[in-house]
Amino acid sequence: MSSQTITVSRFFKSLIAGFFVAMMLIAMPSHALTDIISFKSPEQEQLYRELTAELRCPKCQNQNIADSNAVVAVDMRHKTLQLVEQGMDKSQVIDYMKTRYGDFVHYQPPFRFSTMWLWLLPMMLILMLALLMLKKQRQQPTVENTDDADLQAMIDAVRKKK
Amino acid sequence: MRKLQFFIPLALFLGLAVFLFSGLFSNPRDHGSALVTQPIPMFSLPELNEPTRLVTHQDLKGKVYLLNVWGTWCATCNAELGFLTKLRQQGINIIGLYYVQPADAAFGEKFEMAALQQEVARKLAEQGDPYQFNIVDEHRSLIFDLGVTGAPETFLVDAQGVIRHHLVGDINEQNWPELSAKYAALAAPVTSGGPHE
Repeated sequence: MSSQTITVSRFFKSLIAGFFVAMMLIAMPSHALTDIISFKSPEQEQLYRELTAELRCPKCQNQNIADSNAVVAVDMRHKTLQLVEQGMDKSQVIDYMKTRYGDFVHYQPPFRFSTMWLWLLPMMLILMLALLMLKKQRQQPTVENTDDADLQAMIDAVRKKK
Repeated sequence: MRKLQFFIPLALFLGLAVFLFSGLFSNPRDHGSALVTQPIPMFSLPELNEPTRLVTHQDLKGKVYLLNVWGTWCATCNAELGFLTKLRQQGINIIGLYYVQPADAAFGEKFEMAALQQEVARKLAEQGDPYQFNIVDEHRSLIFDLGVTGAPETFLVDAQGVIRHHLVGDINEQNWPELSAKYAALAAPVTSGGPHE
């Protein structure tokens, strides 16, 4: 009786396993849908890859055109390829896109009055932190030179302030 | 000096708070348009109901108009048709630029003008027809040159063919007053010696 139960459960287990394997096989080919592009030269391929990674999809929030399948991103990829094949260099393609989709379309913002703080603020912060660290280092009393009397004087000074 | 040290973090915090708070009300889709103050790009595209007639940028000169990018596949555009039809009844010039979605060859789809004509006619009969005529951009070439990211989008173009406003999203009761004022200012007869932009 019990041995029969085991064989039945084994049968079901293998059935379930078989089902999952079948599901995986069915699901496999779905991610094979990508653009197949033949490039005229490895340089052009390299340029195309750089451009599609740096150009930003204007329809989606924070995706480059290589990652997006929005209609506008697909059209931009095709246009990029076309322009690269025409022999345009990187900055020419970026300018071509910018005259249509604005500065937003390139991940590197230009230096302008309106974008000034974007560039200046991080530099200012780094400079400020560096200065602060330098100042702190100078102020720090060296432990070796401090004897008990000095220490007591410092403690008294702090207490008086309070 | 001590007082100042106390206020620096407070000032930084307030500055950051104001910056982030104002960000809550900004529109992430609004990232400016490179086309405003530029002339409408050169194009030559078929008219929907008379595809043998090609409409060019030259044909549109001489009057102020709204160029409305739309498609029957776009739900917001369909909802916008009623409001636009009201505007046409008020005498606003509206020209449609039909956004053809890429046909998926893998699914056996292909672009057919006759099918599109039928579909558009059906939709306009149902929702109202605001358009003087429609330009069909099968390969989205003018749409690309105009920096259109989707549908609906609308351009306000002056009599010289210069783009004066680019609206991403639909025209509705809320944003029409502002656009309407711009339209009226451009459409008004120019008085000699009047203020120029």
